[in-house]
Amino acid sequence: MRLDVRDLSYSFGDKKVLKEITLDVSPGEFIGLMGPNGSGKTTLLRCIMNFLSPPADSVSVNGEATQTLSSESLARMFAVVPQSSSTDFTFSAYDIVMMGRLPHRKNRFAGPTKADADAVRSAMERTGTWEFAGRPFSALSGGERQRVIIARAVAQQPQALLLDEPTVYLDINGQLEIMDLIRSLNKEEGITVISVLHDVNMAARYCDRIALLSDGWLEALGPPSSVLNPEVIQSVYGVEVVVRRDPFTNAVYVMPHSTVAAAPRHGRRVHVLCGGGVGGPIMKALLDAGYGVSSGVLNVLDSDFENARDLHIPTVTEAPFAAVSDAAYEKNLGMMSECEAVVVSPFPVGPGNLKNMEAASVAVSRGKRVVAILPDAGRPVDFVDGKADAIMRELISSGAIPVMGIAEMLRELRRGEGR
Amino acid sequence: MSPRRDESRESGVDFPKVMRRRLLWLAALTIMLLASAMLAILVGTLGPIGPGISVAPGVREHISFGEALGAVFGETGDWPAYYSDIFWEVRIPRVLLAAAVGAALACAGTAMQAIFRNPMADPYIVGVSSGASVGAVLASLFGFATTALVGAIITPALAFTTALLTVFVVYSLGVVGGKVYVNTLLLSGIAVAAFLGAVVSLMIYFAGQQYHRIIFWMLGSLSIASWSAVAVVAIAATVGAVLVFISSRDMNALLLGEETAHNLGVDPEGLKTLMLVVAAIMTAAAVAFTGVIGFVGLIIPHMVRLVVGADHRMLVPAATLSGAIFLIWADTLARTVISPTELPVGIITAICGGPFFLYLLRRNRLAGETR
Repeated sequence: MRLDVRDLSYSFGDKKVLKEITLDVSPGEFIGLMGPNGSGKTTLLRCIMNFLSPPADSVSVNGEATQTLSSESLARMFAVVPQSSSTDFTFSAYDIVMMGRLPHRKNRFAGPTKADADAVRSAMERTGTWEFAGRPFSALSGGERQRVIIARAVAQQPQALLLDEPTVYLDINGQLEIMDLIRSLNKEEGITVISVLHDVNMAARYCDRIALLSDGWLEALGPPSSVLNPEVIQSVYGVEVVVRRDPFTNAVYVMPHSTVAAAPRHGRRVHVLCGGGVGGPIMKALLDAGYGVSSGVLNVLDSDFENARDLHIPTVTEAPFAAVSDAAYEKNLGMMSECEAVVVSPFPVGPGNLKNMEAASVAVSRGKRVVAILPDAGRPVDFVDGKADAIMRELISSGAIPVMGIAEMLRELRRGEGR
Repeated sequence: MSPRRDESRESGVDFPKVMRRRLLWLAALTIMLLASAMLAILVGTLGPIGPGISVAPGVREHISFGEALGAVFGETGDWPAYYSDIFWEVRIPRVLLAAAVGAALACAGTAMQAIFRNPMADPYIVGVSSGASVGAVLASLFGFATTALVGAIITPALAFTTALLTVFVVYSLGVVGGKVYVNTLLLSGIAVAAFLGAVVSLMIYFAGQQYHRIIFWMLGSLSIASWSAVAVVAIAATVGAVLVFISSRDMNALLLGEETAHNLGVDPEGLKTLMLVVAAIMTAAAVAFTGVIGFVGLIIPHMVRLVVGADHRMLVPAATLSGAIFLIWADTLARTVISPTELPVGIITAICGGPFFLYLLRRNRLAGETR
């Protein structure tokens, strides 16, 4: 089924909700409709279904304008799954799914036939709802209900599914279950899917293409890896995010950068010695507390290197998997000398980065304030036969301040400023 | 029982079995209706099921079963000739009217509950009862009701007209730009009913001697049953029930919301308007001849739904038949409980219906189901 949306605008009274939307959907595609609340996603679905009347010719299916089609023939092409469904009336799950056969009845007098019963049964078996077919719909859990509604959509034997945030009221397990079911319908039966999704990562994982709406405009359209970049998300949602690739699925995933507003900068800088991902939360906490932060020496591809890059932190770097060179060591010392304090994080120490521990001793001997965060087990993760441990003890005996955890580190740094 | 009650079944629904079971239920209800009608015809002060009338000390006039059969089938025998009239002019039309009115109210109630998506809706929700009351009270005030022949035609005609006028007003208030807003409709129905109720009270206040007659009408009674009334209400009930039945799958979809109904290929606006008009005409026809008989249109659909579920393919015929059965027995009780005088049947329906309704509501809450 081919869906063409051409230059579609729609207003509620004076309020323009959709503005010149143009979107082509190819047969078998999985399209995610995204955008902030009120950006027009649901309105777009309603225009496609002709529940709201769009301007003539702006929406067409297989070349035919939907305006000229009856709601019954539209219902044979599209099946809609809303956010949630409930009813005060005692329908069984089976009754609900049987309603999906309405657009296929021969005439108004016709009751359900054997063919309808077969279609309902196979739809319910396909969605794993057959075992509770006889139970009252209102007694089912949210996830079970949503599966029943999808069974109804399958019983409609549509060419395309339109879903409006189908998982919004479900727990994480229910969300994945429903999304996997929808994807298998898409991949195995070739049913086109157009789904409003609120979860960026869910969209990135399941969709072939994402249509990003913002204030009624189609802001971006394309595969998740091109639509979901920090600049686009910042401009549409107004949130700073980090985009990475999921190591297991290779899908892009998006993390909000900051959930609290950063404290005002106060010009004091702290250098963080870190590695192996230990430094991420420390650098973030320091930034949030208003410090300027630098770090080093980090190997490119180290997870703390990525953390520092995503946080826009100046970093002394070394080539991937290489030992810290003298040049980098010197550069690191230079950066440390410009800082008010140095934080030694409990990073794993190996022969390659032992120099970072040595740099800490140099800082202490030069009279720099050094705060050493002790690892949970009491000693650093040591791959150098106790050398790192020895340096750490020496650091503390020669004046470095030992702290437990990030909160205590921030307290110590603040106390130091009072002097 | 229906599939949704069957807890023993672990999985699935056996479609042909469900269909057979439904047909069995409807057949059983039809047989119960016929049996009830026949039995109710035999109940009365004179008998055969009844105390008889004491005509002289130690002498009671009482119709035997044999005499009753003979009189019904038009034979002549050693019984008074008016026995035939007792059956053909009084009891048979009355039982048939009870059946037709009960069916009409229950069917209209089912339709109203569906389009208002509210199990508390009843056939009077859009102002039929208050509208009809105004017409009936006007007829009484102008003295039409007392003149036998004219009253039998004018009162129902006036009540029917004012009922439909009221529904039209309420409907117009609930429609904006071709869309029927059921919540607005509901509230306009309440407001118009309150206003017309005040008008009726005012007229009763000045009614004087007509007071008792008006109250009797407003409580609902089948005592003015005539063959013409039977014909009018039976036609309205039959045509209405057929129209409601063929819309039953559409109403199923509507109960999930108007957008869902549209997405399943149903035209919600057309359906709502059709059902409102059909239910209003059925109800107005019944009310015009019998006055306001409460509770039938609210409770019967509700009770039947608890037993057979909400699928209107089953609910509409089952509720229609049950409404007929229920009103036949309620009326039989009304005319015998303090015989030879009779109670307005509306009192009986409310007395039986109210507590039973509460019982069902409680039982279902305790069973952990919603409604």
